[in-house]
Amino acid sequence: MTDGELLQRLSRTLKQKIGPAIEDEYPKTQAFMAAVVTEKLGRQIALAPAHEVAQRAEFSALLGDLDDLLDFKSAPPALRDALVDFGENPDKPTLCRVIEAAYASRQILDEMRFRKLMARIRVTLRADIDRQMEYAA
Amino acid sequence: MSTAEDVAQIPTRIRDYLQTRLTDASDLKMENVERIAVGWSHETWLFDLHYRDRSGPQQMGLCVRRDPGNALLRHLSDLEQQFRVLECLEATALQTPKAYWFESDTEILGGPFLVMEKVPGTCRNPWGREGRAYYQAAAERGTLPASFTATLATLHSIDWRDAGLEFLGTPESGQGFAKREIAKWRELIASTEHQPEPILIDLICWLEDNIPSTDRITLVHGAYRTGNLLIDDDRISAVLDWELQVLGDPMYDVAYVLSDLNREGTHLLSNLVERDAFFSDYEAATNTTIDESACRYYNALYAMRSAAFWMSASDLYATGKSDDIRLARTAWSIPVVLERAARDLGY
Repeated sequence: MTDGELLQRLSRTLKQKIGPAIEDEYPKTQAFMAAVVTEKLGRQIALAPAHEVAQRAEFSALLGDLDDLLDFKSAPPALRDALVDFGENPDKPTLCRVIEAAYASRQILDEMRFRKLMARIRVTLRADIDRQMEYAA
Repeated sequence: MSTAEDVAQIPTRIRDYLQTRLTDASDLKMENVERIAVGWSHETWLFDLHYRDRSGPQQMGLCVRRDPGNALLRHLSDLEQQFRVLECLEATALQTPKAYWFESDTEILGGPFLVMEKVPGTCRNPWGREGRAYYQAAAERGTLPASFTATLATLHSIDWRDAGLEFLGTPESGQGFAKREIAKWRELIASTEHQPEPILIDLICWLEDNIPSTDRITLVHGAYRTGNLLIDDDRISAVLDWELQVLGDPMYDVAYVLSDLNREGTHLLSNLVERDAFFSDYEAATNTTIDESACRYYNALYAMRSAAFWMSASDLYATGKSDDIRLARTAWSIPVVLERAARDLGY
């Protein structure tokens, strides 16, 4: 049994056996809420390996596309620095810095380039939130 | 004061406290004691106080709100501020509970608390089956929807300077209000241990880039929905939950009403009011026009606020400040809010 499956089983036990056996309202609610939490956590853990692979591929593709879109050498320095960080360590915090730098550089970039940049970033963000919704919804 | 035994002593301690406030009273007895709203926010105790004074037997319906020390958003709206707001509103046309006493001495009940009037009426859970059915039936009867809109119009028509509400902080006209709200929720997000979320950053940057301008500053409730209103005989008898109030753009409240957050799958605003009726009644009562563009903006700002709420709430559990598992559950509400925000931003 994987960790995810174990949590799913714990969730079912809490929901079907423990919760119904509790009479007091507050602890009963807590038991059912614990069932919800373990169920979601179980799904999140079970999906994590596939999600990590997908995110790495998404971030790598994003970096390549932003390079093409931006003409790296002429990009505003703050955005260029953020992209360098994202390239060296492609994770959510560095992607956040790219987004902040893109907005901060909006005037320098010109509107068309900014919109194209954000449209491409948002493709990646949509894919990421769709993955999160697989366990959060 | 956090153990079950301590909490069980609270009614006795409340009675002893009231004795110190009602110095002419004797034979104080509390009846119909009811504890509601456990965990999320401030603890609330409702009861009827019976006592004797020089005039004979007396009765007061009272409500005590106590800060348990780990309430959600407690540092953004403490009980003293709530008490002051209720005091200021007492002389206005808005229906609110009369505020009696605020007590900062944490020795008495284990945390600050306020005592206010128990207003006649009920507050049905808008998300429960019974509450949903009640509001739909009330929508057909028609009186409550009109009262819902009229009460919001009254709230937005209060002369807040005259009422003494300037202590809430007056935003600069123009973009001042939205800037303050963004800064407030940014600060709350930064205070949590959640890692930065790119969609949330996109949302915040978008909000900062698209701030609407307003010169109309009113009192804003911040969470105007049926669950925060007391209803008696199909009319709103009191506006409750003064935790998120600010001075700002009234469209912030209107946006909350117009959003589909509280519709419970119906076409009715707050599962109660027809959209056209809300527009015509509100605009007529306030002599203003609803700015739908500003409302769309504030709807996006609510997404930021919700994300901040859930980050803060789930942190209370994760960092051991609360044992309420409902707070842990809110960690999975964050992606749901962000997915909605992404759709609002067009992706």
